[in-house]
Amino acid sequence: MTSARALAGLAALCLAGYVYVYTSGIAPEPIRSDGFSYYVYLPSVFLYGDTTLASVARDCCGGAFPENTGILRWPGTRRWVNVHPIGVAVMQSPFFPFAHALTRWTNLSPDGFTLYYQHAAGVAGVVMAVAGLAFVRLLLRPHFSDPVVAWTLVTLLLGTNLYHYATFDSSYSHPYSFLLVAVFMYLISQWYERPARRTSVLLGLVAGLIVLVRHPNALLLNLFWMYGLFLPNSATGLLRMYSRHRTELLRMAAVTCLVVTPQLLLYYQATGRLLVSSYGELGFNWLSPRIVDVLFSVTKGLFFWSPVLGLAAAGLVLLARSANRLRSFAGPTFLLLATHLYVIASWWDWQLGGSYGSRGFVDVLPFFALGLAPFFEWTSRSRARLTGASVVVAAAVFLSVFQMLQYWHGLIPFNDMTWEQYREVFLRWR
Amino acid sequence: MALKETRATSAMAAVLVLTGVLWYLRDPSWLASYSSGFHPWQIASDGRPYRWTKGHASFFVPSDARRITVPLRSVNETPQDWPVTATITIDDRVVDRVTFRDEDWHELSIRLPGNATRHVRRVDITVDRVRSRVRGIQAATVEVSR
Repeated sequence: MTSARALAGLAALCLAGYVYVYTSGIAPEPIRSDGFSYYVYLPSVFLYGDTTLASVARDCCGGAFPENTGILRWPGTRRWVNVHPIGVAVMQSPFFPFAHALTRWTNLSPDGFTLYYQHAAGVAGVVMAVAGLAFVRLLLRPHFSDPVVAWTLVTLLLGTNLYHYATFDSSYSHPYSFLLVAVFMYLISQWYERPARRTSVLLGLVAGLIVLVRHPNALLLNLFWMYGLFLPNSATGLLRMYSRHRTELLRMAAVTCLVVTPQLLLYYQATGRLLVSSYGELGFNWLSPRIVDVLFSVTKGLFFWSPVLGLAAAGLVLLARSANRLRSFAGPTFLLLATHLYVIASWWDWQLGGSYGSRGFVDVLPFFALGLAPFFEWTSRSRARLTGASVVVAAAVFLSVFQMLQYWHGLIPFNDMTWEQYREVFLRWR
Repeated sequence: MALKETRATSAMAAVLVLTGVLWYLRDPSWLASYSSGFHPWQIASDGRPYRWTKGHASFFVPSDARRITVPLRSVNETPQDWPVTATITIDDRVVDRVTFRDEDWHELSIRLPGNATRHVRRVDITVDRVRSRVRGIQAATVEVSR
């Protein structure tokens, strides 16, 4: 199996999964739950020329967004503030004009929420996930054999909850963040080889979008300066490189600031402040993070629901010890995964609401791809290892896909799963 | 040369497929049963099937109909609730505006304009306020007179 064919097959599988979700009736329309508040900027700006969201509120909801949308009136100004930033809408925007033109053509209601708008937003998420896999391939391919990259892509999509967020919940932010983090890593590897102006601009653009899609992911931008930092005797060389290419660094920072500016202006328009915590009283419990629950619990544990990521974590150790050029990512990846974990575990709702598996980690799955590839390379060196690993990975992928289908069909609850519930439905369809 | 021909054939096939799809989507038959902006169907205490609109709902009626009758009513959650005003449009032209001051069913009889170019016409209902859970007004089955 070549990695190009694997990617094509996975793209087809994502599209098939999406079609199944919306033709079988197991899910309502794609723009729902968090997907609504991520998307709502598009009809507001393109259909009403309104950045306050008030026009959409009038049309869709009789003047006031329901509380469960996470779009709240700011106490001082009575204007709408959305807990979800504009990044997803920005990335969905190329799909919106097609949906609108088709809506006019078919004479559907041009309100931003009828059939074509719904599936433009839904399919956009599928495209983002597949594009993310394509960038993971681009990142890995020069450093690993083609079959290793192919199996990494297959395992990453089917052995984790990425497939769920590429299909069933494709209007959420996670496939977008997954793509952006994959592109960011690819561009970093390019920039450190040749710090060209184009790469700097693209890095700035992607960094800005990462922040726009999900503000806490701004932490992941640290990957840029951490790249290679943990290799022996690298610090001085890196400082010299930064000094030599400081114009490029400034260019990158300027583009990032430019990309983030519209969000700050929106916050200012709604609240009179540039920086806003739209979650109000809800926030972080920094002194009592639920780390064990986030990693291992039956409720939403990362390794419980995507056990194959345990192998990826082991693979990251292999990468750090190897001579592979991508080992420059290994140290930063460990550190940033730990930080990401701490942030999620400290959030008041560490389950992140209704979700399949630990959805906050979908954003950083490209980090785990860096571990899966060395793991597969390591297993390919001996027949015994290969056989053993094949059995374990196949079982983990089967479990992940089966449990995802159980979630789709309502056998696994949206949140607060208990051991009793899990035992009752384990490998059962009815 | 062969490669150029293959490309030209592929481009031609793509244009043909796109034209076919657009021609089909201009007036597809599934529109007659398509609706948006409604909650699921329920049965009222008088046995009448109805569904709540959200802030904006739309559905389609056959364009050869002369008149449609749309049964609508508003239900208050508290006696202090403000009356709901609904605006009804056909193919984006306002045909009626009703304020519901009671909780009775109102049979809105709407004459459809002539000169239709499609098999169906789009009817939109927009309300100026909603009750809890984005419930606008109740709409029962539409009667079509040809």
